[in-house]
Amino acid sequence: MRLLLVEDELDIQTFLRNSLEEAGYGVDVAGNAAQAEDMAKQSPHDILIVDLGLPDRDGISLILRLREMGISAPVLILSARRSVDDRVRGLEQGGDDYLTKPFALAELLARLRNLLKRNSPAAGEATRLRVQDLELDLLRREATRGGLVLQLTPQEFVLLEYLCRNAGRVVTRSMILDKVWGMRIQPDTNVVDVHIYRLRGKVDGKGQQPLIRTLRGVGYVLKDR
Amino acid sequence: MSSKTVKPVMHSAAWRISLWATLAFACGTMLVFIFLHRFVSSDIRQRTNAWLAGEVEVLGDVAEHTPKDALYDRVVSEVAELAGKEVPNRLRSEGHTNDLVFFLQTAGDGAQTLWVGAGSGEPYLNAIRKQPFPPDEPQDVRVAGSAIPFRVVALQIDDGSRIYLGLSERDELRVLRNLRFRFIMLWLLLVLLGFAIVFYTARRMLSHVRDITEAASRIGHSELNARVPMSARNDEVAHLARTLNRMLDRIESSMHQLHTITDALAHDLRSPMTAIRGKLEMSLSAATHGEQAEPIVAAIEELDRLTEFLNTSLDVAEGKADALRLSRSEIDLDELLHVMVDLYEPSMSEKNLHVTLQSQGPVRIQADAALMHRMISNLFDNELKHVPSGCSIRLSLAVEEDAAKLTVEDDGPGFAPEVLPHLFEQRVKGKQSSGHGLGLAFVEAVTRAHRGGVVASNREGGGARLTLTLPLGRVIDSSLPIEMTVSGAGPDHR
Repeated sequence: MRLLLVEDELDIQTFLRNSLEEAGYGVDVAGNAAQAEDMAKQSPHDILIVDLGLPDRDGISLILRLREMGISAPVLILSARRSVDDRVRGLEQGGDDYLTKPFALAELLARLRNLLKRNSPAAGEATRLRVQDLELDLLRREATRGGLVLQLTPQEFVLLEYLCRNAGRVVTRSMILDKVWGMRIQPDTNVVDVHIYRLRGKVDGKGQQPLIRTLRGVGYVLKDR
Repeated sequence: MSSKTVKPVMHSAAWRISLWATLAFACGTMLVFIFLHRFVSSDIRQRTNAWLAGEVEVLGDVAEHTPKDALYDRVVSEVAELAGKEVPNRLRSEGHTNDLVFFLQTAGDGAQTLWVGAGSGEPYLNAIRKQPFPPDEPQDVRVAGSAIPFRVVALQIDDGSRIYLGLSERDELRVLRNLRFRFIMLWLLLVLLGFAIVFYTARRMLSHVRDITEAASRIGHSELNARVPMSARNDEVAHLARTLNRMLDRIESSMHQLHTITDALAHDLRSPMTAIRGKLEMSLSAATHGEQAEPIVAAIEELDRLTEFLNTSLDVAEGKADALRLSRSEIDLDELLHVMVDLYEPSMSEKNLHVTLQSQGPVRIQADAALMHRMISNLFDNELKHVPSGCSIRLSLAVEEDAAKLTVEDDGPGFAPEVLPHLFEQRVKGKQSSGHGLGLAFVEAVTRAHRGGVVASNREGGGARLTLTLPLGRVIDSSLPIEMTVSGAGPDHR
């Protein structure tokens, strides 16, 4: 996967390049819009990360310019601005996504994956999810572990489904709030933790190998092996 | 706009202005007319008096020097009749001059000796006897049986007899009556015309003011790029419009300034925060032991709290200045509250708090979704942090007069009395509170930005109550999101 990172802050550039390479992306880095245009012309990229505040041009005009040039790869917009610009919202509807700074790396990676998945031809939607001995029937909204039915509330089922779909990958609290409850909020109480704690009580019974793991300071992960 | 409903004309300022102006005008013209009337009537009277004085002189001469023989009566009568034909102010010469003028001579004992005039001289003599007659001073005499008074002058002749010459005031009164009638008609016409002119002018002037008021009220705080209409003239109203527009320019520019500052501040802080967070995360993934990871985890959590604090502070600052930017969409508060209760319920029951939600069904408002989410979550966080375990929290949602009303009540200790008046100020918090003291200030900022409000009180039975009102904004703001998209995109990227 070739990725073009357009970011002028050197510190952010460095850690993003390292983390993205670690996650398996081939990363090209551009420090400004002009450079980004050149690099986009030279070689095709599967996905782009564009910071809005570039020294020479506005990130959005760069994206629009790239679109004019016929580059259709999805774009993840990084914004240090407070309010989500209406023009960003417009791009979001066009299939791109945005992330406000500062962000958790796990969330950046999840959004990149989502964008790439959206761009690739949709695989037939599965009706069952399976992670180790945990099985989710998406049609009957029923979860079983080791053949035993788990007594989950509808909300807990949605939460577990989200974790299963991201099995083996870290999900953050804000990602859970966004995807399960549909809200981009940052509560200063541990509401998500309590939900996970309850879910874990039902999924990871006594004597069973724990599936839901907490990564402190990062988020949660459903172990897939 | 619905505010253009036509008010009754009687309640308009134009009506009052023209009423007062017309009253002043009517009084003024009336005074002028009264003065003119007096002048004319005194002039007529003077002319009558002069004629009477002249004629009685002549008659006196004739009466005195004509020998008292058989011809005396005839001579004097003819002279008197002749005089009667030269009456001043005569309107018609119908030959009946003798009912306009009379001549009466009395002997020294007061008995009538000669009478020239219409009918009998008896009632005239009786009327004359009733009042004193200083010589050469004409008097008004009312004769029984005649509605119109006579102007009478007396003259003492040396032979002891007295002569009286009387002139009916009929023509004089008729002249004055005609004059008055014309005056009144003219006056009425002038007053009506004056009223119409003043009313029309005042209405025209004030209609500009009304246009300005309507435009200004439309502008409100979300449409700051609009301006009130200007007129080409250079009068007070145009001046008002110009002043208002200049004021709006200044407000818009300071709002823009504020946005620039808060955005720049956010941007300048967020970039290093992103870098710091990235580095912390990288060192966290490199850390192998729990002891190594612990401080990094704490630092990341602190950093996230700091970010949230920065966001909320800037929102509160903008909210206080009525400069919070909204991107409105339709939100169902009922649905939002159900999701929030669902999200918070486990944490609540973990703390042994009992939460209930009362709602009659969907309550759709035009609001900024992201801000609404954060505000409601703030309210829940607030309850979760401050209400002691074992208490109940009751939420109720209702629609009252075009506004959604959300009440949050608990049976905890309530707000401390010393904190209550300052509850919505920044950094005000209870003694045992652990937050930044921004929660309720943020709630206030958001409700205010949506033209609603929040009221905090303590319940009578103990416990706190927060009442939030949020206008549904269906009718007025239906066109706003589009306009705001246009105006909102501008300042950010200049």
